[in-house]
This record gives sequence, structure tokens and C-alpha cells, in this order.
Amino acid sequence: MASALRSAILHHVRVPLSRTLILNGSRTTAVRSMSSHGDDHLDKQEVVERVLDVVKTFPKVDPSKVTPDVHFQKDLGLDSLDTVEIVMALEEEFKLEIPDKEADKIDSCPLAIEYIYNHPMSS
Amino acid sequence: MASSLKYVRVPPNSASLAEARQRVFEFFKTACRSIPSIMEIYTLHDVVAPSQLRSTIASEIRKNAHVTNTKVIDMLLFKGTEELSNIVEHAKQRHHIIGQYVVGRQGLDVGTKDQGVSDFLKNFYKGNYF
Repeated sequence: MASALRSAILHHVRVPLSRTLILNGSRTTAVRSMSSHGDDHLDKQEVVERVLDVVKTFPKVDPSKVTPDVHFQKDLGLDSLDTVEIVMALEEEFKLEIPDKEADKIDSCPLAIEYIYNHPMSS
Repeated sequence: MASSLKYVRVPPNSASLAEARQRVFEFFKTACRSIPSIMEIYTLHDVVAPSQLRSTIASEIRKNAHVTNTKVIDMLLFKGTEELSNIVEHAKQRHHIIGQYVVGRQGLDVGTKDQGVSDFLKNFYKGNYF
């Protein structure tokens, strides 16, 4: 009885030949999709959403005015210190450290999104 | 930390207002970058959020935004750097940080007992120079 049970179980466990052929054919792509080597970069839409979230939760900003192409000082009425504060908040959100020269240039949402998307270390 | 404070540097006098401005922004960035370690040292994780601390630092800097004399700005920056290094090297204690930078802002409004008192008395309690 044990051997009958065993053979019945093995019959289910053993993969039929036709299925293995398909597996072999698609194995190379399956292995690639398992490794996360290709998706080091964030999705652009995700970057846009997270940047907008950071800007919207800034206490001095009116959330309804925030779009992906606002300028911090011209459209949202912030001053230069607020701009630096937003850049620091973005640094914390994406775990980056932006050098001073680059940080000075970021003064609007599209520039911020562009910089974060192109930075290899964003997470 | 790339911009950590190993020692308090006495900066040479700023040449112009623009240079002083740059120094202020550098100081602000250094302070913001030390916020995670400050929260770790004083276990402020449940008390305040990093964004609130950033806003507090910004409002402290903004209190002196009207100053135009570069030497005064340098002096204020030196005092700010000294305060920041005191905090980072754990020379202060948790109640100092909470009392000075958290209470009375949006973080915890526990310290506002004297809401019905006159403005004169409020200024008097704060200090002599008003």
C-alpha cells in the first residue's frame, strides 16, 4: 500500500516532458525576470508621485496648487530657504545626498523630478 | 555623513552678502542632514517628525532673516553651528531639545498655558530685549 501511495504521489510530482520543454525555452527570460538587476531605476510615474507628495505635505504649500510643473518660488510663493528645505525633504525621501551645485539649480518640480529620475542611487 | 561636524570651525569673514547667504544655506543643510542622528540620540521618534524639525530650524533661521550686516550674520552662524554641535555630540539632554525645538510649535502644543495673558507680559517672560 505504501508503494502504491508513493507511486501515486510521484505520478503527480513528476513534471510531464512537454511542460519541461516549454520551461527550458522560456527559462532564460524567466531567470532574467527573477533577478532585479534591470530595475535599479525607479519608475518615472512613481518618482513624480513621491515628489508631489513631499511638496504637498510641506506646511507652507497649498496642496491644490501643486502640479508636476510648478516653480517653487514663482508659483507656490515660497522663498529661497523654503526651496532648500524642500530639496532636503526630497533628499530624505529618496535617500540621496545632492551636492550643493546641483541643489542650487533645483527650484521647480520638473527639475527635481528630472534630477531624481536620472540619479543612479535613488530609492 | 558627508557634512558631519567634526569640530566647530570659525569661518573667516564673509566677503559679501551673497557669500553669507551661501553659508546660511550650507549651515541649514548640515543641520538637516544631522536630523536622523539627533532623532536617534535623543529618541525623538514618537515625539516629532523630521519634517517638523526641519521647519523649526528654518523658522529659527528666518527669525534673523532681516539682518544685513555680514559680520552679524557670521556671528549668528557661529552660534548656530555651536548649538548644532552641542546637540549632535549629546551635550544637551532630551528635555532641552523637546523644550526648545518641539514644544510651542506644531509638534506638541503642551507649553501654551498663558493664552489669556497680555502681550506685554508675554514679552516680559521671554526676555529683556523687546
